[in-house]
Amino acid sequence: MTRFSIFTNRRGASPLALIAFVVIVCLLFAFPSLVESPYSRHIMVLLFLSTIMGESWNIIGGYTGQYSVGHAAYFGAGAYGTMIVMNASQFDADKLLELQDLAKDSRLSSLLLSAHDLHPWTGVLVGMVAALLLSLIIGSICFRLRGPYFVLASIAVAEIVRITVLNLADLTQGAEGILISTLPPLTIGNTVITDFSNNVPFYYIGLLLVLLTIFVTWLVQNSKLGYFFQAIREDQDAAHSLGISLTFHKNAALALSAVLTSLAGSFYAIYIKFVDPTTVLSLDLSVQIVLISIIGGIGTIFGPVVGALVLVPLSEVLRSNLIGESLISSGMVNSDSAFGHFLTENLSHAHVLIYGILVVVVILFMPDGVLGFFKSMVAKKRKEAA
Amino acid sequence: MTLFLQSLISGILIGGVYALIGIGLTIIFGVMRVINFAHGDIMMVGMYMTYFLFTLFGIDPFVSVLVTIPLMFVFGAILQKLFINRILGALPQNQILLTIGLGLIMSNSMMLAFTSDYKILTTSYSSSSYRLAGLSVSKPLAISFLITVVITAALYRFLMKTDTGQAIRATAQDREAAQLMGINVKWMSILAFGIGASMAGTAGALISPTYYIFPQVGSAFTLKAFVITVLGGMGSIVGATLGGVIIGVVESMGAAYISSDWKDVVVFAIFLLVLLVKPSGLMGTSRT
Repeated sequence: MTRFSIFTNRRGASPLALIAFVVIVCLLFAFPSLVESPYSRHIMVLLFLSTIMGESWNIIGGYTGQYSVGHAAYFGAGAYGTMIVMNASQFDADKLLELQDLAKDSRLSSLLLSAHDLHPWTGVLVGMVAALLLSLIIGSICFRLRGPYFVLASIAVAEIVRITVLNLADLTQGAEGILISTLPPLTIGNTVITDFSNNVPFYYIGLLLVLLTIFVTWLVQNSKLGYFFQAIREDQDAAHSLGISLTFHKNAALALSAVLTSLAGSFYAIYIKFVDPTTVLSLDLSVQIVLISIIGGIGTIFGPVVGALVLVPLSEVLRSNLIGESLISSGMVNSDSAFGHFLTENLSHAHVLIYGILVVVVILFMPDGVLGFFKSMVAKKRKEAA
Repeated sequence: MTLFLQSLISGILIGGVYALIGIGLTIIFGVMRVINFAHGDIMMVGMYMTYFLFTLFGIDPFVSVLVTIPLMFVFGAILQKLFINRILGALPQNQILLTIGLGLIMSNSMMLAFTSDYKILTTSYSSSSYRLAGLSVSKPLAISFLITVVITAALYRFLMKTDTGQAIRATAQDREAAQLMGINVKWMSILAFGIGASMAGTAGALISPTYYIFPQVGSAFTLKAFVITVLGGMGSIVGATLGGVIIGVVESMGAAYISSDWKDVVVFAIFLLVLLVKPSGLMGTSRT
């Protein structure tokens, strides 16, 4: 198992790489003032979101070797926690009277009433706590199982969460989902952000979250706790016989990963201002979260960044139908023809197709992900030169 | 009492189709040790095939099984030869991801070709039913159950009595030993995946008169197939048959006595319980 050796990164980052990293981060902070278009900021926010999801999953999947395919549960916890509290804080008097009426019989309604008294942005914390508790429950059930059985159990638990949210309609508004028209003002220190319409606040929140998850991943890679995680990934029986508590460390890794994933969910919720069970709790989302890391390169700090850089633009090209429209506008394809209709109508629905094709290509031809593939290419070139 | 018997009967009838899905998954797992996450999507391909055979050529969905079985066998064999074969020795998680990817490609290609609109296959008997001692038995479900029984019996016979069937079982028992005995294990793998795919495709054909047909229909059935095979014991065909019927009955009882909104939670809870208490399943022998 040399390719996952914990010693490969012992040398630490080279000064050149560190400088490059700092320069890129500075450029990213300057980006909104350099580029005016809101669409480019939108793409960047999507990139950040994918990166946060990928980095968070990477801690449990990439560094601890536990392939959870149920991360939508934590993402959903963050998204729903944020939206429920934010929505409850905006209830008007009529709705409150109605709830007080209902609260006598329904515990969920009284829960909503107490959520009304919370500060709107504490929903993010509520989501984090919910994800943490969920991860402890899931961990205590699923970590008794290994390999494919763990994967299946994680899927089953996430499905139970999805169906539960779907059916607790008093609290979650069921399949309808929760929609928020305006975000409440956000106070950070002395600055109060009230205008969210131009994406700029989301850009900076997303960027900070990306830096946070990268920092946490760096800590995981270079701390004693992280070494324990990686030892479990390499050989859990050997790790166990050396005195590493499997239950504790697997649960710790899952909890960390879950809390960060819930932040991604909260970020998504406030950006889109809408959540429903099919978008934030589905198996498809769990799979997409896994694929970001896998495609970029699992168990590396920048693998999920590369994965997001590959996936987001490709799926955005398909979703926004750039190919179809450019072919039609350039006159190569008649928009009234069957093929033109096909391009405009069907292609945009199938942006997940690119995930499928990429994952098959990556597993078959670059099992270490895009990042690993290029690393080994460079290593080969160097060897030839030497 | 009538409610109990009624849900028992409809549970067993739908359980027959579930068994077919489960048997396909369990044969693939038995021979190749690969968990096929594209199983429900293969079933979805079978549903579309049936739909178009019906709308374009007017072939009855239950007759079209005769076409679906060989076509889906070839489809499965090609999938095995092109993709699954290359990752037989890879990490289990990579195998899982590859099949997930194949499933995504299938469902999204279907969406690309036919959009995500729900299609309904309406036959003259779609909503008709037999009356049987005060109970009503859905006609399409009853016919599909009979076909399931015939196919399962034929498959048992093939696996138990023929030389090829024995070779497949030997490969499932011990791949290396089978190879040493002169069995062409590569051919057996192709055969197994073909059989698995044609079972899934047949199940798709059989439920298409009573179920909505849409590109994402597969993932719900993939999950169901896992529950069935784990319950019965990974690799055990008798177990998968039993598991299919049990899950069918649990679902219909859950819908009747708890609520149809929560019936899937009951199924998944049983699944987790089996995983925790007896991961080898009802008929399984080993944990690997």
